[in-house]
This record gives sequence, structure tokens and C-alpha cells, in this order.
Amino acid sequence: MTQVLTAKSLGIRITFCLAALAVVMCLCALMGSQKVSLRKVFTGPGSSPGENIDYEILVGIRLPRVILAALVGAALACSGVVLQAILRNPLADPYILGISSGAGLGAIAAVLSGATWSFWGGSPIAAFAFVGAIITVWLVWLIGRATGKSQITNLLLAGVVINAFLSAVIMFLTSIARSDQVHSTIFWLMGNITEKGPSALGVSAGCILAGTVGLFGVSHRLNILSLGEQEAKSLGVDTAKTQIVAFALAAFITAIAVSLSGLVGFVGLVVPHGVRLVCGPDHRQLLPISAIIGGAFLVAADTLARIIVAPAQLPVGVITAIAGGPFFLVLLARHSRKISWLK
Amino acid sequence: MSSIIEVKNVSFGYFPQGSILQEVSFDVKVGTFLSIAGPNGAGKTTLLNLLCGLLRPQAGSIMIEAARIQSYSPRRLAQKIAVVRQEFVPVFDFTVAEVVSMARTPYLGTFGFDGKIDREAVSQALEATDTAQFAMRPMKNLSGGERQRVFIARALAQNTAIMLLDEPTSFLDLRHQVHIYDLLKAAQLEKGKTIVAITHDINLAAQYCDEILLLTGRRPAKQRPGNGTENPASYFIGKAKDIFSPAQIQDVFGVRVFTGKVGNENFFIPLGRFAKDSGQANSS
Repeated sequence: MTQVLTAKSLGIRITFCLAALAVVMCLCALMGSQKVSLRKVFTGPGSSPGENIDYEILVGIRLPRVILAALVGAALACSGVVLQAILRNPLADPYILGISSGAGLGAIAAVLSGATWSFWGGSPIAAFAFVGAIITVWLVWLIGRATGKSQITNLLLAGVVINAFLSAVIMFLTSIARSDQVHSTIFWLMGNITEKGPSALGVSAGCILAGTVGLFGVSHRLNILSLGEQEAKSLGVDTAKTQIVAFALAAFITAIAVSLSGLVGFVGLVVPHGVRLVCGPDHRQLLPISAIIGGAFLVAADTLARIIVAPAQLPVGVITAIAGGPFFLVLLARHSRKISWLK
Repeated sequence: MSSIIEVKNVSFGYFPQGSILQEVSFDVKVGTFLSIAGPNGAGKTTLLNLLCGLLRPQAGSIMIEAARIQSYSPRRLAQKIAVVRQEFVPVFDFTVAEVVSMARTPYLGTFGFDGKIDREAVSQALEATDTAQFAMRPMKNLSGGERQRVFIARALAQNTAIMLLDEPTSFLDLRHQVHIYDLLKAAQLEKGKTIVAITHDINLAAQYCDEILLLTGRRPAKQRPGNGTENPASYFIGKAKDIFSPAQIQDVFGVRVFTGKVGNENFFIPLGRFAKDSGQANSS
């Protein structure tokens, strides 16, 4: 019979990819401008701060950052998969429906307001960006639904128009801001992963994992939705419900990712395409594997951003764009659906 | 034989054009092959969309297996009715097997993994439509005829009592047109499916279908008391030989036809003003 995805084969592939992600995370945590001795790390934190520097660097700084990068990469890749399916548009990315400009506006509002409080371990920029992203996506959704029957086209148009409008507002605010404020905003807009406290990391991890599992629950319906609404209805899919659930969860995890790391580009577009070329378009497989590969990709990119001009650091968005483009072109050229080990 | 589809006084229109279908009533018996024919804009696809629950009648009712169509959940309805539209290439690069497997969606659990019964249904549908040989090929690498066979395979794998088809042979060459109708007839005769297919090819419809629903595209005006003129019929239903007459075809489609006979069925060749043999067209 034909080779169709089974739960067992998917389980094996996910386990394999998770193992690969764990290896990438461990290797990347060990890399950096300061060499770390594993032997010293295993001796424990010591009795006073500063007694075991190697332990503090690895466990206190690098591991949280590596975990953060994996979470952000997973969320963006997952969201990219979902939006490409709902919009039936291979060029869709997590930011297509206004999340980037909404979050950007929130971030620059936080910088200009000079707020200094922290919320669940997150900075004011993170909180403002999250709120800005969610409000913008909600507006885009309302406009898209209110303007007629062809919701997909209207959603895209509403996203493009709101993105353009809010980008103009961001440019206006940037032009009247002080230069130090502009610098921190631009760094944020380029996508920048920095260390976060355990509470921020824990809350974000919980939200992103819950969102990803929820999206996996609708992933087989995304297969059908990608054929078109009429086809999906004929196959018994409640299209409106599936679209709302998928859209809301994708927007939520993207907003969390954006609030953690700013606008990291390319991951949400390139990783789903790359995984689709290798594994095929079945969303039951595409979604979890894209999440894992997206995580690994961003961990590796962030490690490069840390070490390439050490002791200074680059915004990770620069690396994802520079490394992601050629990597994707190679994949495309090989059109590697012929690589059958994952099929 | 009981009716599996009952359409009672159904009316439907789009704003601002007004009514497309007005008080249409007919029954489809279990295991019947019904063809919906008529000129462009007569409401064929609208009627099909009403029958599959995509549109709701603005007046009247549609019953599927003696229950109102609105009383079915999308999932339950998809276990009763399979729909085949004109063939298309999916946006993403699904293989034939993946597309046919999607037919089992109305029967799957939360995470959408198919079991042994589902895989058997898919396998049988692929065999029946002769598509198993290219089951692992991407849809985009198939010809239009092959893709349409895949969509019919998907409808068979959906294992429903009713199959609705919207112009299943448009854009296909003669061999593929006949192949598709053979497949549908086999599904009717061997599996007892009830089939409702829109077609522009009245000759194929006459050869393969048990009944014809001819939508004329005329909109009956509201009856006015004292107005002696008779309303034009908006549809006819019956056997092919009763529905398809040269006069009727010329009247409904607005084109002269040459009429011949194959066995008991008439066949028609439309002949326009500049056609080589336009002089041969029956003048009625």
C-alpha cells in the first residue's frame, strides 16, 4: 500500500529531531567567547556567588539563552506553518498580518514612555510589544471578517494596510525620539535575543508549548483547509472554527516570541519551506518538525551572533537572514523531496 | 425505492441579481444517476452548493435521508455526501495518496491519524479509479484527467451514499471524459451510490444518466390574478429522451442542433451560423 503518515512513524521522527535539537542546544551552550570547563560545571555552583564562574556562565547565562532561542525559533516556525496553511499562501510568515508593526509600535511606545517596571520577569518593551501585537492582529481579524465573504484575501489586505500604516507611525516616532532611544528600538526591531529571568522563561515556555500542542491538534484540518474552504467544508471540517483556533493560537505564540526577542525575521518563512521540501506538506508532520528545526536553527544562529564579533554581539535577525537565505536556496535547488529518509 | 434527496420548493438568489432558483422541487431516489444540465447562469452550481450544504435555501427545504440538511453537523454531512469539483492543483505539494487519504477526515479522531479501515478504504478507491500506480506522485505532476480521477478516488474513499459532482469532465479530452463517466457509472451500479452531476455535455448525460434535471434559466414572474399568460418553466425533470428534444434544446440553449440517434438515445451536435454543415441542423 501507499506510504501514509502513521502515529508511530511520526513519533519516531519527532523523537529523532528532538534528540538532534538537544545535541545542538548542548553544543551551542558550550560555545562562546569564554571557554567553559564541563568538569568544573559538574562540581556545582559553590557556596558563594563568583566561586564557580564556569557554572554560572553555563547554567545561569548560556542555558537560559539557548532555551529562549529554541522557544522563539519553535514559535515562529510553527506560526509560519499555520499562517501559510490558513492563507493558502507559501509567502506568508508570522508577521504578515500586522504582528510586526503592532509589536514594533508597542516597543517604541515603551522606550519613549521611559517605563522601567517589570512584569513576570519581562521588560516594559516585552509587555508593550505583546499587547501591541495582540491588538493589531485582533484589529486585522475584525477588519478582514467585516469586509466581505472572501475572508482570506481581505485578511491579507487588512494585514498589509495596517502594517503599512503602523510602520509609518513607527517611523514618525523614531524620527522624533532621542538617539539613545532610537538605538535600543532599532536593535529590538532587528531581532535580538538577550538573557531573560527564570520566571519570564518559564511563563513563555508554558505558553509556547501549550500553543504548539493546540496547533498540533488542528494540524490534520490544516491539510484540508489548505485545499480551500469549499473543499474543507465538503470534507466535514468546521472551517470557521478551525481558522479562528489556528489563527488565535498562531498569533498568541508569535506575540510571545516577539515580546521575548523582537522581530527575528526569516525563521517563520524559511524553516517551514525547508521542512516541507524534505518531509512533504502533511501538517501533522510539518508542524512539530518545523517547530523543532526552527528551534535548532535559531539556537545555532544566536550562537553565531554571540561569537562572531565577540565580545560584542550581533542582533540574531542579521544572522537568520544572512544564513537562512543561502541555506534555503540550496534546499530549493536540490528540491529534496527526493530525500526519502523522512518519508 | 425511497428518496435519498428531497428538494421542496427551494428558492435562492444572490444580491443584487435576485432569484436564481425559484420554487424548485424534485426527489432523487437511492442509487439514481441524475444529471443537472442547463445554460450558463441557470443556477446549476448554486443548486449543487445547496445540495451539499454550502448554501442555505432562502425558502423551502432540502432533506437528506429524510432529515433536514441543516440538522447535520459538517462532519455528519461529510459522512453522507462527497463533493467533486472541477480539478485543481493544491497550493502545497501533496501526493495523490495524501489527497485521497483526506477523504477519511470525517471519520478520524482528535489528532487525525487513520486506522486500518481508513487505509483499506483509500487503497480500494485508488484501485477502483486506476490511480494506485501513481499514488506517490505529487498532484502537480499529473494531467488534468489524472487529477480528476484522484478527486473521484477521494470521493469514493469518503464512503458516502451520495456523490455530487460539478462538471467533472470540463477541460478533459474525449477519452478522459468517457473514462470519468465509466467510473461514475461503475460506482452507481457496483456500490449503489446516488450520483448527482452537473454537466454541459448533454450527449454524455443522455448516455449515462437515469434522469435529467434541465434548468432553463428562466425566472417565473409572480402570478398575477387575471393575467392569462402562463409562466415559463424554470426547470424540467425526467428521462433523457423526454427532456432532450431538438425543440427543447434550441429553446433552452438558444442554439440549433443536428439530431441523430444511437440506440434509443438521441444525440445532438450544436451547429452555429458558420458551421460547415449548418444547413443540416434540424429546424424546429
